[in-house]
Amino acid sequence: MIRTENIHKYFGALHVLRGISLEVKRGDVLVIIGPSGSGKSTFLRCINLLVRPDEGKVFIDGVQVNRPEISPEWVREQVGMVFQSFNLFTHLTALENVTLAPIRVKKLPKAEAETKAQELLARVGLAEKAEAYPAQLSGGQQQRVAIARALAMDPKAMLFDEPTSALDPEYIREVLDVMTNLARDGMTMIVVTHEMGFASSVASRIVFMDTGLILEEGRPSDIFEHPKNERTRAFVSKILR
Amino acid sequence: MALPVYVKRQREAPILSLANGARVAEMVVGGLLLISLFELVLHYNVADPNLWARYGISYVRGFWGTLGYIAFVLPVSVALGFAAGWARVSRHRLLAWPSAAYIDFFRGVPLIVAILFAFLYGVDFVPQRIQFFLEDALGVSASTLPYIMAALALAAHSGAYQAEIFRAGFQSIPRGQVEAGEALGLRHFQSMRYVILPQTFRLSLPPLGNELAVLIKDTSVLGAFGASELVGLASEFTQQIPISGGELVWQFAIWSAIALTYFVMTYLVTRVLRLLERRFRTPGLEVVSL
Repeated sequence: MIRTENIHKYFGALHVLRGISLEVKRGDVLVIIGPSGSGKSTFLRCINLLVRPDEGKVFIDGVQVNRPEISPEWVREQVGMVFQSFNLFTHLTALENVTLAPIRVKKLPKAEAETKAQELLARVGLAEKAEAYPAQLSGGQQQRVAIARALAMDPKAMLFDEPTSALDPEYIREVLDVMTNLARDGMTMIVVTHEMGFASSVASRIVFMDTGLILEEGRPSDIFEHPKNERTRAFVSKILR
Repeated sequence: MALPVYVKRQREAPILSLANGARVAEMVVGGLLLISLFELVLHYNVADPNLWARYGISYVRGFWGTLGYIAFVLPVSVALGFAAGWARVSRHRLLAWPSAAYIDFFRGVPLIVAILFAFLYGVDFVPQRIQFFLEDALGVSASTLPYIMAALALAAHSGAYQAEIFRAGFQSIPRGQVEAGEALGLRHFQSMRYVILPQTFRLSLPPLGNELAVLIKDTSVLGAFGASELVGLASEFTQQIPISGGELVWQFAIWSAIALTYFVMTYLVTRVLRLLERRFRTPGLEVVSL
């Protein structure tokens, strides 16, 4: 479904990604963990080309997408993304946030887009908040709207960039529940998170990244209970404490 | 979790509603009261029929002249300001740099000096072919062209200030929202059109209203160069009062009438902007009042 081959990225002299290769199969949930500054977010952004890899190949459904002939907009229609800071459009209601891209990018008729958006908002438990503006919603509600907004484009896969780390503790659960349901429904997901409960119950695989490299990869039980790499062990013991 | 359910924003009353009519009436009455007070103290009468029999024509000509300059300068300045503000925040240096130079230039030069240059030398920068075109197709004679150049300088001056207003509007949109738009497959111009511009517009309205009020009053500077507008024609007329057998106290009456006229015009424009502001009010995007 999603495959990367030897991805490298430089920011000036900084070598942020130093050859990332991995594969995510349809319906898989891949969780990426690792200390801050290890390149996790940059790697996610390389998949939907918000950041263009300097070297290496990104494949979606077998098609190499980081080629000049392929428009990044097309790639982003295939892969939805949810951000740490929600990034809802402030001037639009929850419903309008969800319908904007389907109407403008997919050219869906407004009525159709709205019906679908209502369904999606109901799916994330916010049916009654359709007319609320982002400023009138809690962080957890905003993030759930952001998930509905990404789903409205019917993506083949979803990227989550630390979706709960900007949230107050009492709102983390509701967002993780939505993500868990999404995974149960068979969505292919790549999730950068430090929520170990979520990772061990939902992830099909966990990848540990540090200094722009994948240091260890395995099932949740392997990574959390029997980490092989020295640094994985140190990191896991820190966050599991 | 038990946040109240919010209803969609209510539609504001139309601009020409009864409530607004009442506000305007209130304001006119206030203005008239103020003038009567001056009249009591200074012993003059704004509505003196002898005065208006002589000055009336000049006032009406000046009024339409001023309206004409406003109708020209206002949209041109907003267009210039918007374009320069946008260019100012562009990633392309070829756009950002000239815009910065333009803004700095007009902010640093006194308005009257900028207008003077445009009035005296502006025409020299207009190619002959365009001058002929203006004369043949639009009936702009060679003698009115300097005034158009002067009005353009005024628009450019105000545009520089408006550019800074729009720049601030652009820059206060969080970068993350643009990224979110891109991640949804919006093209660059779509992010601009549907994400950035509507928010810039809302944030820019209050300071823009202020700047437009200044601009309306600044059209009077054109009068110093003999433009046919309220202040220019009035100063011409007041100089002739002794010759035409009028009373010197008419001066007060004339300038009071002119002050009231500008007051009403700026009030109406700021009022319209205030209504726009209220109509597009969005939670999370309002200018905080302390």
